[in-house]
Amino acid sequence: MIEVTNITKTYDDGKVQVHALRGVDVEITEGEFTAIVGPSGSGKTTLLNIIGGLDTPTHGEVTIGNTSIASLSENELIDFRLNHIGFVFQSYNLIPVLTAKENVEFLMLLQKKNDKERDERTTQLLKAVGLEDQINKKPNEMSGGQQQRVAVARALASKPDFVLADEPTANLDSKSTANLLDIMLKLNEEENTTFVFSTHDQRVIDRAKRVITVEDGKIISDHTK
Amino acid sequence: MLLKLAWRNIFRNKRRSLITISSIVFAVVFAVFMRSLQFGAYGNMLKNIVGSYMGYIQVHQQGFWAEKTLDNSFSNSDIDHLLELDEVSYLSQRIEGFALASKDDNSKPVAILGLDALQEKDNIHLDDKLVEGNYIGGNSNGILVAKGLKKIMSLNLGDSLVFLGQGYQGSIASGSYPINGFIDLKTPELNKRTVVMNLVDAQDFFGMSVMITTSVVGINGDDWQAAQKAVIQAVDTSQLEILSWEEMLPEIVQLIIVDKAGGTFVLLILYSIITFSLFGTVLMLTEERSFEYGVLTAIGMAKSKVVYVAILETILMAITGVLIGLVVVFPILIYFNVHPINLSGQMQEVVEKFGFEALIPTSLDPSIALTHASIIFIIVLIVNIYTIVRIKNLEPVKAMRR
Repeated sequence: MIEVTNITKTYDDGKVQVHALRGVDVEITEGEFTAIVGPSGSGKTTLLNIIGGLDTPTHGEVTIGNTSIASLSENELIDFRLNHIGFVFQSYNLIPVLTAKENVEFLMLLQKKNDKERDERTTQLLKAVGLEDQINKKPNEMSGGQQQRVAVARALASKPDFVLADEPTANLDSKSTANLLDIMLKLNEEENTTFVFSTHDQRVIDRAKRVITVEDGKIISDHTK
Repeated sequence: MLLKLAWRNIFRNKRRSLITISSIVFAVVFAVFMRSLQFGAYGNMLKNIVGSYMGYIQVHQQGFWAEKTLDNSFSNSDIDHLLELDEVSYLSQRIEGFALASKDDNSKPVAILGLDALQEKDNIHLDDKLVEGNYIGGNSNGILVAKGLKKIMSLNLGDSLVFLGQGYQGSIASGSYPINGFIDLKTPELNKRTVVMNLVDAQDFFGMSVMITTSVVGINGDDWQAAQKAVIQAVDTSQLEILSWEEMLPEIVQLIIVDKAGGTFVLLILYSIITFSLFGTVLMLTEERSFEYGVLTAIGMAKSKVVYVAILETILMAITGVLIGLVVVFPILIYFNVHPINLSGQMQEVVEKFGFEALIPTSLDPSIALTHASIIFIIVLIVNIYTIVRIKNLEPVKAMRR
């Protein structure tokens, strides 16, 4: 379970103060398929970054399971992200010199998983995202949709507690978006994987099971379908 | 996988990697070749002067080196026991004196070197220096004349030289000796004034009976400092002086120091250029990749591992550059070792004025290549301090903001 308690985030460059988040409280439980939506500048990406431990709140606390993110040192936080959180980025952000298979294997290698386990999980995940025949292709040899599917497989490779996806469909066409959402929903339903998106893509919002709307740094609505 | 990642990263910007590797290749080739030439020249100088004539260590009567008179002589029986030392391989007994040499209307002051001609065949391969005529045997009263002196005095094989000089304890030394052969001592100064005769002939000529002025101590191995220490401990130093080649030839030591300093200065400039070239690469590489480093730390890669991959990339480039550099430079070194650079014209005159042979062979000492390869790696590590600091202070969110 992710518990976000009274989070505020203020950016201060010495001249101007920008309040990106103003007292956000939210709980996300295991197995959710949640979309955080809102217009540009509403604070949804900031919220996602704080949940993922990539950014620190000005006030408030994020607890994942029994761990308070603020209590972790920098190295512990990186290690925590490796073992508990999967990330999917808007621009895929795969390692360009590694093949699809190597990209998926990469986090398991950092986790020091053995060859057999890495190989089995990579094959399973690439099959799950429909790329079993593309394993030796490098990112520049794949379409945007294919790259994002590899990114989803990579995010799941370390067996995280949940996956944070920041605008995962922003660079995809309709067909690729539908395909990616099918895959993620399937993983959510069959493997009970928790997905949290930040998006303003209506196609994602339509298929999300819970939609949290953020505006001006505040949650203005939170409904479960 | 991390090694694979670092290796493949080299090929992401092929042109930049090529420029970086080329600059390392150039640095290795230039530095190793230049240093090998320098050290080769010193080696050749030492081989000619020290290794094949003076020896690394000499024993004299106290005061001989400061005042080279025959009265500062000693009996060879005083140091025979040195042969029992592990560090000592042989003792070469010599008389070094001076006389006026004349033939017909020509006369010239010469240095007479009395030595055991048969023993010196083994010790310093004196017979290899023969360029004309015959070597002198144990009982021969013939002499060997250095080739420069031959030219100056217009000498031929079979001629006799008449010597007149001061002998031991104020006696008059005189005698006539036939020329058996001409030798090349490889050092212009020695070639102009040296006459070699058998030790017994020299002792007879100077009226010195069993006395000698010099004993060259042959050493086992290369460690002449250890041998000198052992010899000092084994003799009565109130009576005898034990000098190393450095003490006998301080001007050569000075020359080497000054020359080395000049070479070091050139290398310093070269390495400064290489340092900035490598720093440029590291700077661009780190800045270009900071987005990627942000992603890697975001998904859970420890910063130490990110640093490792980043540094490994430049180290791999350095290894590639150094290896190519060594592959390129070694055949060149071998060629110039076998076919030394023969200085001519003004350079030859300058070098010979200092008493050295105008030949510069390259040194094949592997420590030269090792030293410069190590310097490149140290430079790589130093310039990567930037990468370490940059990655250490990296904040994933800021780094991923394009």
